[in-house]
This record gives sequence, structure tokens and C-alpha cells, in this order.
Amino acid sequence: MADYADIPTLKENIDRETVDSVLALDVDKYKYGFETDIESDMAPKGLSEDTVRFISAKKNEPEWMLEWRLDAYRRFLTMTEPTWAKVHYPQIDLQDMYYYAAPKSSPAPKSLDEVDPALIAMYDKLGVPLREREILAGVERPKVAVDAVMDSVSVVTTFREELSKVGIIFCSISEAIREYPELVQKYLASVVPVTDNYYATLNSAVFTDGSFVYIPRGVRCPMELSTYFRINEKKTGQFERTLIIAEADSYVSYLEGCTAPMRDEAQLHAAVVELIALDNAEIKYSTVQNWYPGDKDGKGGIYNFVTKRGDCRGANSKISWTQVETGSAITWKYPSCILRGDGSRGEFYSIAISNGYQQVDSGTKMIHLGKNTSSRIIAKGIAAGFSDNTYRGQVSAHAKAKNARNFTQCDSLLIGDKCGAHTVPYIESRNGTAVFEHEATTSKISDDQMFYCQQRGLNEEEAVALIVNGFVRDVLQHLPMEFMVETQKLISISLEGSVG
Amino acid sequence: MAVSFPVRLGPAENTLIEQLKSVGADATAERIAVAGLPTRRVEAYHYTDLKTLLRAVPPMVDGSATLELALKAGPLPLQVAGAHHIAITNGLVPSDLSAPSGVTVGRAQGGVLSTRDDILVHLNGALAKQSLALTIERSLDQVIQIDHRIEGEAAHVADALKIFVADGAAATIVEVFSGSEVAHVGNHATYVALGKGANLTHVTVDLSAKASSHFATNEYHLAEDAQLRTLVIHAGAGLSRTHLFPRYEGAGAHGNITGMNLVADGQHADITMDAAHAVPHTTSQPLFKSIARGRGKAVVQGRLVVARDAQKTDAKLMSQGLMLSDEAEILSKPELEIYADDVVCGHGSTCGKLDEDSMFYLMSRGIPQAEAETMLVRGFIEEVLDPIEDEALSEALHMVVDGWLLGK
Repeated sequence: MADYADIPTLKENIDRETVDSVLALDVDKYKYGFETDIESDMAPKGLSEDTVRFISAKKNEPEWMLEWRLDAYRRFLTMTEPTWAKVHYPQIDLQDMYYYAAPKSSPAPKSLDEVDPALIAMYDKLGVPLREREILAGVERPKVAVDAVMDSVSVVTTFREELSKVGIIFCSISEAIREYPELVQKYLASVVPVTDNYYATLNSAVFTDGSFVYIPRGVRCPMELSTYFRINEKKTGQFERTLIIAEADSYVSYLEGCTAPMRDEAQLHAAVVELIALDNAEIKYSTVQNWYPGDKDGKGGIYNFVTKRGDCRGANSKISWTQVETGSAITWKYPSCILRGDGSRGEFYSIAISNGYQQVDSGTKMIHLGKNTSSRIIAKGIAAGFSDNTYRGQVSAHAKAKNARNFTQCDSLLIGDKCGAHTVPYIESRNGTAVFEHEATTSKISDDQMFYCQQRGLNEEEAVALIVNGFVRDVLQHLPMEFMVETQKLISISLEGSVG
Repeated sequence: MAVSFPVRLGPAENTLIEQLKSVGADATAERIAVAGLPTRRVEAYHYTDLKTLLRAVPPMVDGSATLELALKAGPLPLQVAGAHHIAITNGLVPSDLSAPSGVTVGRAQGGVLSTRDDILVHLNGALAKQSLALTIERSLDQVIQIDHRIEGEAAHVADALKIFVADGAAATIVEVFSGSEVAHVGNHATYVALGKGANLTHVTVDLSAKASSHFATNEYHLAEDAQLRTLVIHAGAGLSRTHLFPRYEGAGAHGNITGMNLVADGQHADITMDAAHAVPHTTSQPLFKSIARGRGKAVVQGRLVVARDAQKTDAKLMSQGLMLSDEAEILSKPELEIYADDVVCGHGSTCGKLDEDSMFYLMSRGIPQAEAETMLVRGFIEEVLDPIEDEALSEALHMVVDGWLLGK
């Protein structure tokens, strides 16, 4: 037998390594926590029919849109907040926040030169390129078209002309409502119905901006599309709405990033994202969620209550969600796929890291309706500090979903003894030909793994790095190149100081 | 801002409220009046919506004719050769109890379970008039078989059993549920406490009539180094649910919690487990198998909760489903809730039809399809049945499974 006595236990290892580095992600060091002083135009505080009318009027929306919003608002009044998630927070006072905040600037800037320089500076600070710089110091960067949304409005959308040459529409949703009403009317709320859930209904009533993407038939989007969300104003809720439509035989990869200033009051973010993939279309949606998580005592932070759902409406269509969740005080988010088209495929790759007093209740739903549909779920949760990290996922096969196939793997890693990791899968097979496999583990890095690595000459740090790297690799490799860098920085919670 | 609506009560709920009030259990009656029976919104009943599934509740059992009925009742559907039998007919524990040496039996009043937020537990506590108490003082070779029978007209029966296994003692106890072919509702409770180093095999087999509903709640407390093997078999009632609450309270305690749902057309069977690893160094290996044919519906919910200081817990839950028809449903919710960091916990869940390659292998060797299927199904179940050590018991359980396979 090997002598394990002089090998430090893993716990010490993790505590030193990762908890240290988890501190890097920590709250006090949240590097996007600055506030930018930009004059804003705000709606009166509180939620009422008047607020809904105010938002609609601000956006110059057509009458049908206002009616749609008011209908959602009236339905919202009859609904109650869901309580099934494993998250705890004080009652949110919906009357004590602003539902609309827009940077004051000349109406509809024609070019970037007309945009408030403070605003461009802010995005520069965030590392989001608003200028269409294609070549930087001789190094060709991959092109990324960006839609930047601050508080309630889309500030600027880049590369629009280049995209429109191939027929792609990439603009803010408010613009789409005015310019392409037939597309919006056809697809809006066709995946997430108005009354889907409490927060989705609230969003339907008061959503302010977000992105709209339309990929025409047979077009492969030539660059990554990206939206960058930023909450800037105090006491403001952000309610964005994203709608992506991929016509038959098209492809698009879409990235989403988000940050907010550090404040000691909690702010609400309730978004709705709808994806529609028609025959043979493929949508790849990636998120790096880095909202302000609150300070080290759990004060402040963003309450992130998000409804994301993709509809594989066409045969052989594919929707893939990849998410890296590191921010938010509370995350309540289940990017899902409705596998309606025969032979369609849904994928969900997730890394959720929680620290401090963060609470994460996240996962996915794979609803198999069509024949020969398949889905794959890989979820990795890392809990540290006083946080709770829950994976909640549903896989279901409808009676007509012949030969539905699912593979699910969710692993949790606990760092420290004050946190919790939970797994709550719902596996519902209503068809004899469906084959479902689900696997979940919770552990810390085992002594055996450490021993194996160290025996082969790796030092402790390298060994931990190697193992943690391997732990999340399944998911990392599904992120687009552009996001890998940012993600690796975020995940440095476990790797910083241990590699290189 | 939100508007809430009062719950609309159905006939089953109204009957239950009356029955509860007649025994003075006003608090439980009030609870049903306010919230109704649990729906799928109550997580523990997510797949077994009692409000929808339990349409009517028959009148409380009338104890006066019990003895007569017991004499007239047919043979037991399951008999373990050489076992010591104790009959509980229509919820009544006989006064002339006998027991093998080393066992004390007695009769007590009322419910046996710890109070918890579960309506079936509350109902049993309020409505069970008598309980049977068994104390196993030293290791037994003889199996104890407890026959719960509900005979006569459709009746609502609540009964209770309390088992103590002394330090170091070992025993095998089988509970068999059966009754006449009418719409009974049986609500059974079993409380088990295992002393240090005690070893118990506890098998419960539901063979009630298809028209009836069978509910059982089994609570287990394991002291240091106690070893528990449970096997729940649902193969009878149209609606059956067994809720298991194992609690590992002493270092070295180990539980093999196993169960089997065998469902056919129109049946709904649910095994739900809430396991608590409360102290360091405890282990468990829950394993549940479901087989559904026709429009049968099988449910397995398993939750492992590892307390903050229960370090070194090793728990692996497995739930496997086999669907023998296209219309069958198998629903599974294995949950992990973990607060300690130095643990190895996991769960797996699979569900599918018979493996085509295996079928091909067998059929290409001249085995007819039906027989090949039976062979594979038996193989699937064997993992649960095989560890039962008592030969007579193992044989009896195999007969139950074979009976189900033959469509009895």
C-alpha cells in the first residue's frame, strides 16, 4: 500500500487553491463593478398600466404592440411568484424600481460619432468593441457583430450593413417591432407564451429592448453575433427580450454577455429569449453570465430570473445552449429545447460556479415531441463559500416521440463545507422506444486522482489544475473561440496560480 | 397583487374530512379542507397527483365482522415456507398473538410514525386505531410474515407496525398486503428502529386487488453499524405508493434500499425515498427497478440528503426502467441534496426497452420471442431479488414476479 500520509488531503488543496481563486471572482474584486455617469431618461417609478403605456410610447410602438403588452400586464396581475426553486430571497418590491432607463442622447444616432463618448468609453472599459475595427495591430481578429444594450435601450449595433448584404437582420427588438412587424408578430411569444411563468409574463408587459436576429433561408451567418447587456442605473430592472429566427438550412452562432455595477441593493433582471430553428437550421447560443453577484456578505447583486427557450420547429434542426454562469446573487434559469421537428437535436452545456452567498438554481428542459429526436446535457456545478448550487433539469418524451434519445451528465464539485450542491432531475418517459440515460455525481477531487497525478511527477498545483480542467472541459470545448478567453479568466477561480 | 382561489374539494377529500372529524382529528381535517389532497405542485407527489388519482374513499372499516371475514377469506397470495405468520385483518391486531422465541409481540394504540409534513402520514396517525409492536431480541432463523388483509366490502383501513431490532440481532420480516377484489384504500405505516450492529431484511409486497389503492410509509432509524436491506414490491393495487424514510444515525450504518414497480394497464405505482445521511461515515445503495407494460405507469423518486457534517458519506442511487410497450410510462426523479464536501454521492437513471442485441442473440439461438423476453426481464430483476438470502423467501418472491410476467 502506498503511504498517503504525506500527501496533503485534497481539501487543503482545494481550500488553498480554489477558494483563494474563488476569491478572485469574489465580489469585492468584481472588476465590472464601476458605475458610469450617463444622464438618463427614466420612467416614473413603479409598475402600472401607465408604466406599460409609457414604455410603449417611448419606443414609438404600433398600437398592436401596446395592446399585447397591456394584455400581458393584466394576466400578470393574476399570477403568483413560483416557489419551487431552491433559492431564498426577500420579497421583491416591484413598485420600488424603474422599468425604463435610457441614456439621454440625440435621438437615433446616425453613426458612432454621435454617440455619447462616455458611453463608448464605458464599453471600451468592458472590452466590448463598438467600433468596427477589423484589423488590430496587424493581427486579424475574428469579426463579431455587437448589439450593446444599456439599461432599457439598445445603444448601438455594429456590422449591420455587412450583415444585411447577405440578408441577415440584426437589430434591436424595438427596431424590429417598427420595421419588421410581420416577423415579430409571427414569432414573438411563439416559444415562450405570454403566460408561461410569472417572470416571463412580467417581461412581456414591460420589456424594453433586446436583440432581434433573422437569418434567411440557406444563409450561414458570416460572423458571430453578440449582445452585450449592461445595467447602469440605480433601482432599475432590466427586462430584455431576444428573438432569433433561423430559417431553413441556415446557421448562426450568438453570444451574450452581461455585467452590472456594484450596488448594495438587489436589482432584478428578468429576460426572455426565444429561438426558432426551422428545417435543418442550427442555432448556437452561448452565454457568459457575469452579473454582479453581491458583496461578500450577500448584500446586493442581481436577481437573474430568466426564461430561455428554443424551439426546434423544423425537421433535423439543432439548438445548442452553452452557458457559463459565474455572476448574479440568484440565478433562476433553464435554457430549454422543444424538440418538435423529427430528427431534431438539443444540446445543453453548462458550467455554473457559485461563491459567497450566491444561489444558483439552473438547468434545462429537453422536451422530446418529434420522432428520432436526441438531446445531450452536460452540466458542471462548482460550489464554494456559502453558496448553494442546484442543477434542475427535465427530460421528457412525449407518447409520439418514437426513438427519443437523451444522455445527461451532471457533476458537482464542492469546495469547503459551508456550501451545498444539489441535483434535481425529472426524467419522464412516456414512450416505450425512448432511451434515457442520466448520471450525476457529487464529489471533491479524490485522493486517488491526486495520487495518480502526483505519482507521475505533477506537483499538487498542477494536479489540481489538471483535474479541475478536466472537470469542466466537456463544456469549455463547446464555447466559441471568442468566448474561450473570457471564460477561462472567469474559471481561473480554480486554475489561477495553478497553471503556468 | 396575486389572487388566490380556494381549493375545490372532491368526494374523496370530503369523505376524508368527515372520517377525520369523527375521530377528533380536526387539525388534519382542516388541512385537507384548506389545501386539498396533494397535487403535482407538491414536490413529493410530483408524479402521483393524489387529488386526481384518488377519486373516492370508501367508509372507514367496520371492525365488528372482521373475525368472520378473516375465516372466510381465501388463501394467502404469498406464503413463505416455514414462516411465522401474524395476521392483521382490516386493521385489527389479534389479541392472541404468538411469536417465535426471542421475539416479543404486543399491541399498542394508534400511529407509529414521526410527525412529518405529509398528508398520508397525518391520515395514518389519526385513523390507525391499533398497532402491532415487534421486538426482536436476538437473531432469528425463522422469517416473520405479517399478513395485512382487507376483506369484505370496500373499506378504508389504516394500520401500523413498530419493529425494534436489538443491538446485534438479525431478522427477516415480510409484510404482505392483500384483500378482496373491491376498491379498498389501505394506509399502512411501519416504523423500524435498528440497534447497534443490528441486521434487518424488510420486504413489503403489495398484492392487493387492482381496484384498490395501497399506501405505505416506512420509516427506518439506523444506529451505529446497523445493516438494513429493504425490498418494496408493487404488484397489485391499481394505485400504489410506498414512501421510504431511511435515516442513517450512527457511523457505519448501511442501507440497501431496493424496490420494484411492476405495472400493467391502468396501474400506477410509486416508490418514493427520502434518505437522510445525518452523521459521518454512513453508506447507502438504493436501487429501484420499474417494469411497465400496457399503459402502466411507474414512478421512482429518490432523494439523498447529506447533512452538513455527514462527511465521508458514500451513497449511490440507481433507478432503472424497462418499458415493455410503447404506451408505458416511466417517470423518475433522483435527487441529491448535499451539504458536506467530503462525500462520494451519485445517482443514475436509465430507461428504455429491452436490448435489441440481447434479444437477437437469444432468438438466433432458437429461443422464441416471448421466452427470450421473459429471460431478459428476469435478468433485469434479478439484481434486486438475488441478495435476499432466505431461500424460501427468495422462492416466494420469484413466484410473485413470475406471476406478474405471466399476466396474472
